[in-house]
Amino acid sequence: MKPIVTWLKKPWPYWVGGILLGLLNVILLAMSGISWQITSGFLLWGVGILKWFGLDPLSWEYFEHFQHYYEPVITKYNVFLNQYTILNMGVIVGSFIATLLASQLKWKKIKNRRQLVFALLGGIMMGYGTRLAVGCNIGAFFSGIPSFSLHAWVFGLFAILGALVGSKILIRFLL
Amino acid sequence: MAVREIDCLYELCPVPLLKAMKELKTMEVGDVVIIRSDHSCVGANIKEWAVKNQYPVEVVEVEDGEWEVYIEKTK
Repeated sequence: MKPIVTWLKKPWPYWVGGILLGLLNVILLAMSGISWQITSGFLLWGVGILKWFGLDPLSWEYFEHFQHYYEPVITKYNVFLNQYTILNMGVIVGSFIATLLASQLKWKKIKNRRQLVFALLGGIMMGYGTRLAVGCNIGAFFSGIPSFSLHAWVFGLFAILGALVGSKILIRFLL
Repeated sequence: MAVREIDCLYELCPVPLLKAMKELKTMEVGDVVIIRSDHSCVGANIKEWAVKNQYPVEVVEVEDGEWEVYIEKTK
């Protein structure tokens, strides 16, 4: 068997990644009771940060719809330290270790002002969108489909449409 | 034979491939384009496209975390 480093040097085929992600998500759900999701963690961080500024986002109408979901975390744990934060840290630390093992770590710079502006705009739009859609590619789509949730299929359909429109905009105006 | 270079450092997929496709259109047969990238998926992404479109392609990791992709325009 080849050393692990050779496996980390090149991107894996889609089907290998897909099967591994699916299996890991099943194990995660069985062990922790939550499926893989990213933006729930950031949502709760946002709540914590707004609280520093004296706001009380948990009283906003948005959270009335998700009380059953986030209440145990907020009352029992902490908006900054909870299972969702651990999931996100796992993604960052895991990919960091893999990059180091493959000797491919490199600090990225911002190419130009235009890239910065579009990255910020895109990030804000994605962040706002994920909260309206109750999740991102991972939470709403990847974990939603195997949960037999109808909203995941709606999300998937519009993600494809969005990607189509997005690539047209990219080719026409941003290249 | 001319050699063109596209600086795609700090840029993510699919931007490097789109830039390469655009550059190839303006090149003569026999010319080579070099795409410089520091994103690990760019090589795989461009190679997949080039093989499908029957362009000779080569991906070289020139230093840790940095790649050069060579495409020759043959048609």
